[in-house]
Amino acid sequence: MTVEHPALALRGLAKRFDGTIAVAGVDLDVPAGSFYGLLGPNGAGKTTTLSMAVGLLRPDAGSAWVLGHDVWQDPVTAKRLLGVMPDGVRLFDRLTGAELLAYNGLLRGMDPAVVDQRAAELLDVLALGDAGRTLVVDYSAGMKKKIGLACALLHGPRVLVLDEPFEAVDPVSAALIRDILTRYAAGGGTVVFSSHVMEVVERLCSHVAILAGGTIKRVGTIDEVRGGRSLEQVFVEVVGGRTATGEELSWLSQ
Amino acid sequence: MALPVSADATPAAPVRSVSARHFVRLKLRVMGNNFRGQGWRIALFVGGALLGLWFAAAGFFLFAAPGLTGDGRYAVLIAAAGGGLLVLGWLFLPLVFFGVDETLDPARFALLPLPRRTLVTGLFVAALISVPVLAVLIASFGLVLTAWSLGGWSAGLVAVVGVLAGILLCVAASRAVTSAFATMLRSRRVRDLAAVLLAVTAALLGPLQIFGLAALREADWTRLTGVATVIGWTPLGAPWTVGIDVAQGRVWAAPVKLLITVVALGALLAWWSRSIESAMVGAASAGKAPVRRGVTGGAVAQLFPRVATWAGRDRFGALVAREARYWWRDARRRANLITIAVVGIFVPVLINVTGGDFAFEDGAGFTAAASDSSPVVVTISMLLVGVLAAVTLANQFGFDGSAYAANVVAGVPGRVELRARMTAFSLYVLPMLGVVAVVLSFLLSRPEWIGLTIGGLVATYGAGLAVNSLISVLGAYSLPETSNPFAMNSGAGLAKGLLTLLAMLASVVAAVPMVVAAALLGDAWLWLALPVGAAYGLGAALLGAYLAGDVLDRRQPELLATVTPRR
Repeated sequence: MTVEHPALALRGLAKRFDGTIAVAGVDLDVPAGSFYGLLGPNGAGKTTTLSMAVGLLRPDAGSAWVLGHDVWQDPVTAKRLLGVMPDGVRLFDRLTGAELLAYNGLLRGMDPAVVDQRAAELLDVLALGDAGRTLVVDYSAGMKKKIGLACALLHGPRVLVLDEPFEAVDPVSAALIRDILTRYAAGGGTVVFSSHVMEVVERLCSHVAILAGGTIKRVGTIDEVRGGRSLEQVFVEVVGGRTATGEELSWLSQ
Repeated sequence: MALPVSADATPAAPVRSVSARHFVRLKLRVMGNNFRGQGWRIALFVGGALLGLWFAAAGFFLFAAPGLTGDGRYAVLIAAAGGGLLVLGWLFLPLVFFGVDETLDPARFALLPLPRRTLVTGLFVAALISVPVLAVLIASFGLVLTAWSLGGWSAGLVAVVGVLAGILLCVAASRAVTSAFATMLRSRRVRDLAAVLLAVTAALLGPLQIFGLAALREADWTRLTGVATVIGWTPLGAPWTVGIDVAQGRVWAAPVKLLITVVALGALLAWWSRSIESAMVGAASAGKAPVRRGVTGGAVAQLFPRVATWAGRDRFGALVAREARYWWRDARRRANLITIAVVGIFVPVLINVTGGDFAFEDGAGFTAAASDSSPVVVTISMLLVGVLAAVTLANQFGFDGSAYAANVVAGVPGRVELRARMTAFSLYVLPMLGVVAVVLSFLLSRPEWIGLTIGGLVATYGAGLAVNSLISVLGAYSLPETSNPFAMNSGAGLAKGLLTLLAMLASVVAAVPMVVAAALLGDAWLWLALPVGAAYGLGAALLGAYLAGDVLDRRQPELLATVTPRR
């Protein structure tokens, strides 16, 4: 099979916006079957990197492969293997949850009967069935993340790429999302997600890459990256530590 | 300026009060930052400014004509009619075509501790910083010149005051009306009422146009001057005529007319301030949709609305179904549909029923020669409607915004995408065009022209779809993510205007064969128009989707980037 191919391979991906360099040459190999966390502070280039990796943003240089298929040369095959939840959960939010799933399923060329069945299951498992005819635009932040995840999962992708799946999600929804992702990975799927929540990454991931200033600073299995310390310590050290607040904000205390 | 800092008050009083100056500076700063590193935006802005200056100069000489010739007879007529048209233009053009520049979105100020009066004044003054306002200012100083040359410096001075008040009135009117309609269209409860209201307001354009046409035809200037005098006493004409009143010795009229203007201005600002509040508070959601349980059918069955049940349960069908739902559920798109319906009925009725003496505004002075409606005139009016309908799609991807990512990720082929979008839009527009054709034919008591009208409409609409597909792929721009369906990004107003103009010109060119055929073929065309027009329209649309789809396939990520609001 495709054992020799990594689930996701990035080579020299680079992008600049209006003169500022957002991503400066990212190389990354995501082994098939891994649970990969892409860590980085705000503005590190996580979203830009992932967008280029899944075919949403054309890179200035470099290339990306999904299970050996070039995302930019052979987008049709690569996109068939991918499930994507873009940043800020961009969805057609004037549809109801069920309508949105049906839309995404048919757009992927799936059989209508299968779409119906999977959509019902997903809505049920993600506790979105109660929403009924509520439009996605009226969903809460957590519900939006869940329906976004459902859209990404619907066609049974081999590689799941999620941008900030745990941002602005309450603990109950977060636990649910975590469970589903774990089950997906256990079933042989590969998950790549970006985050800056250390606990989640530490709990879930088999591999971690730390991105800062548009380049990869640390990469490897979670134990390699941690090196016996906590992930947060490593992260703060790599990214450039916190500044001490002593006298500066004295007016905050009344 | 600075208030004393109170020592005891629990929330410390602000050290400086916020004034309109801050809003102006904020607006200039936002505009400036928008230009940074965006050469094409600057180019568009300069182009738009030049266009504005050109119109301003034309308007100036029109308004100044009585003064330059020293002939005061028609001064009131020109001031009242021209000024009234200006106000009406500010009222309707943003609703129908251009949108309002919402560089400073009221919702952004919701958390700041600003008194509403400060906020409204600030936003109002900031709204004055724009090219159209400058253009109107230049044009209306023609009135000042007229007043000055007819009545000396005192009349000129009064005219300055009047003209400035008139400009304030224009801006206040456009803000108040768009804001009120935005509020109504946003609310799930009264949005249909808003649609009707919009239609009725647009219907008011009718009498005005008839007035204008009567002026051209009958040239009964004394009677028109009487009408103009009356208009001069309404808020539409009051601010523009004060200078001439003084010049012609009716000094007592000036304070009264200025009072009328100020009262109207105050009422508009009060109205605006009320709808601003609802925009600020209710921006998140205007009441939840009722949660209806017991949904029938599976997810796929739910996706397809009744108008699209015929579509296959595949990629194309899903796109059609989603677009069809969006044209109704998205306030921005619905506003466009309503506009098409309104314009579609009134433009041809006005052109044809009032006798075909329709002078095009493009300055060429083209006037249809026929005193009664003819197949050529009918075809031309249909051409306008078809083009106007199709031009709605000129930024179809902008409506989607970042949600378009879903289609990119799914790798939808460009041709399927464009064909589906055309189909879904046509589900709404074609029936409307059919109604337009039938209504027009019966109003003209020429039922045998139904074929002609439908043929002309469908042909131009199809050609327009083709042109606009290509433009929507190449010239897309992002729309602001606000709840105001009429809002535009700063600078985008010009882009949109130019793009619309380009799209319309290209569509008209593509549809010219229909007019030529109507002119050359005579009576035979009455029977050929329907089949030929339908085939022409369908062929053009398919060809457009074929060609533009190819471009779209290569530009999907770039298109996504251009329609994603920068934030």
